[in-house]
Amino acid sequence: MADARPTIFVVDDDASVRDAISNLLEAVGLRAKLFASTEEFWKAPRPNGPSCLVLDVRLPGVSGLEFQEQLAKANLSIPIIFITAHGDVPMTSRAMKAGAIEFLMKPFQKEDLLAAVHHGLDRDRIRREEQAEVSILQSRVEQLTSREREVMDLVVTGLINKQIGAQLGLSEVTVKIHRSRVMQKMEAASLADLVRMSDKLKPRPRR
Amino acid sequence: MQTDVLPEGPIRSLIRHCGFTLLFVMAAFVPTLLLQRLFPYPFLFLFFGAVMASAWFGGTAAGLFAVLLSTVLVEYFFVPPFYSFSISTTAEAYFAAFVACALAASWVSSAKKKSEVALKEALDQLEVRVSERTAELMKTQTELAHLSQVLSMGELTSSIAHEINQPLTAVVTHGHACIEWLSASPPNLEKTRQTVERIIQDGTRAGAVLSRIRALVKKEAPAKTWLDVNEVIHELTTFLRDEAVRRGIAIRTDLVPGLPKVKADRVQLQQVLLNLMMNGMDAMAETTNFPKELLISARANEADVMVRVEDTGVGLNAETAEKVFQPFFTTKPHGIGMGLSISRSIVEAHEGRLWATPRSSGGAIFEFTLPVRPRDSDG
Ligand SMILES: Nc1ncnc2c1ncn2[C@@H]1O[C@H](COP(=O)(O)OP(=O)(O)O)[C@@H](O)[C@H]1O
Ligand SMILES: [Mg+2]
Repeated sequence: MADARPTIFVVDDDASVRDAISNLLEAVGLRAKLFASTEEFWKAPRPNGPSCLVLDVRLPGVSGLEFQEQLAKANLSIPIIFITAHGDVPMTSRAMKAGAIEFLMKPFQKEDLLAAVHHGLDRDRIRREEQAEVSILQSRVEQLTSREREVMDLVVTGLINKQIGAQLGLSEVTVKIHRSRVMQKMEAASLADLVRMSDKLKPRPRR
Repeated sequence: MQTDVLPEGPIRSLIRHCGFTLLFVMAAFVPTLLLQRLFPYPFLFLFFGAVMASAWFGGTAAGLFAVLLSTVLVEYFFVPPFYSFSISTTAEAYFAAFVACALAASWVSSAKKKSEVALKEALDQLEVRVSERTAELMKTQTELAHLSQVLSMGELTSSIAHEINQPLTAVVTHGHACIEWLSASPPNLEKTRQTVERIIQDGTRAGAVLSRIRALVKKEAPAKTWLDVNEVIHELTTFLRDEAVRRGIAIRTDLVPGLPKVKADRVQLQQVLLNLMMNGMDAMAETTNFPKELLISARANEADVMVRVEDTGVGLNAETAEKVFQPFFTTKPHGIGMGLSISRSIVEAHEGRLWATPRSSGGAIFEFTLPVRPRDSDG
C-alpha cells in the first residue's frame, strides 16, 4: 500500500506555541495541521495517512483529557502526545492508561517531541497496515462459499482431511478439493499462512 | 418621643405630669359644665376620657390623680345636691359606679401603655443587636477577604507561571527549529530569519506579561499602615494551628511584648509570614527523628523589628540558602517556587531584608527585618 504523507495534528489554544511546534515539525520535514480548539479539529477533514495528535492538556472548554475520551468513543484511534505546563501525576497516569504515547512538560526538548511524534506515527502506521490487511482478508473471505468457509474453519484448528470429512459428512476427496479452493481464494501460501490469516480475522479488543 | 428619652429630674417630671393631668381634667370639666344645662342627667363620660389620657401619658400615678380630681369635681358639681360635697342617698350608687369606672379606665389605660412601652423597648433592643451583629459580620468578612487574598497567592503565581511558560515554550521550540533550518544543506536562511523574528516576538510577549504583573503588584502595594508585628504573627499562628495539628507540628511563638510598630502593608506581611510558615511546615513533612516544631520569634533594636521563622525540617546548606530565593526554584512535586522570591521582593519593598541560614541542630531559619522608621514614613 502506498504510504501517504504523515500528518501531525496540533491542538493548542496558544497561537505562538502552535506556530512554534509547526515550525519545528516543518524544519524536520513533517507536515503539521494546526487547531486552536477541539471543535476546529472535529470540523476539519482528516487526510488519509498515518497521523498523530499533539494535544495541550489545558484547553478552554473541553480539556485535553476529555477530548481523549471523546476520540476513543468516536472510535478514532489516533495516537496522542500530551503537552502540559504543569506535571500533575494523577493526570499523567490517567492519560497514559488511556493509551497516550507521551506526556511532555512545556517547554519540551526537540528530541523528546520528535521521538514521541515518530513513535506515534509508527504506531498509527502499524495500526493502519493491520487494518488494511484485515479488510483485504475480509474481502477474500467473502468470496468463499459457505461450505468452503466451514472447511476453512476446521482446517485452521489443525484437523486432517479425513476428520473434517467425518465432521461435515463429506468424502475425503471432496474436502481436499474444497481445501485447495480455500487456499487459492485466500491466496495462502501454506497452512501456517492460512492459520495466521484466520487469526487476524478474529475480532480483537482494540489497543 | 425623643423628649421622653431626654434626662429629666423627678420633680420636674412630676410637675409636668400633674400639669397635663389638670389640663385633661379641666378639658373634661368645662364642656360637662356647659352640657349640664342641656341634659337632664349629668354627662360624665368626658371624665373617663381625661382619666385614660392622663394614665396613658403620665402612668399609673397620673391616672389615679386624674381619678381623684374628677371624683372631687363630679361630687361637687354634678352629683345631687349640686354645688355641695354632700351626697343624696339616691345618688350614692351612681357616684360609686362613676368612681369604679374611672379607676378601671385608669388601670386599663396605664396597663396598655406599659405593655406598649415594653414592646417598643424590646424592638429597640432587637434593632441594636441586629446592627451590632451586622457590624461584626462585616468585620469578619473583610478579614476573610484579606485571608483569601493571601491564600489565592498560590493560584495567582500558578497562572503567572502558565502565562510565562507559554511564550517560553514557543521560544525554546523555535530555537530548536532554527538549528534545524540552519543545519539543512544548503541552510534555509529565509526560514531562519522568520524563526528568529518569532523568537523576538515571543520573548517580548513574555516580557509584557512580567511588566503587567509588576504593574498589578505595584497597584496593590501602597496600603501601608502602622502595624503591630506581634498581632500579625498571632493572627497567622491562630489561622495555621489546625493545619499544624493535622501535620503533627507544634507551633511556638516567642514574642517580645510592646515591639515598636512598623509601617507595612498588612496583607503583604501576612503573605510573607504565611509563605515562610508553610515552607517550614512543608520542610518537616519527612522529619522523623526530631520533634516537629515551628518557632516564630520577634525582636527589635533601635532600627529594625526582626522576625524569625525556624523549623526542624530537612534544612538547607550554605549553597542552597541563597538559591531558594530564585524565582521558580522548587524541590516540591507541586511547588511553584515563587513563594520566597515574592516574599523577598515584598520585604525589600518595605526596605527590609529577608535571608535564610541553616539551623545548627538541623532545620532552617528564615529571618526578615522591617525598619521601625522607614524613609517614606511621615512620623
Ligand atoms: N524552611 C525550609 N526548609 C528547607 N527548604 C526550604 C524551606 N523553605 C523553602 N525551601 C526550599 O525553597 C524552595 C522554594 O520555596 P518557595 O519559593 O516558597 O516555593 P515552593 O514552596 O513553591 O517550592 C522549596 O521548594 C524548598 O526546596
Ligand atoms: Mg512556598
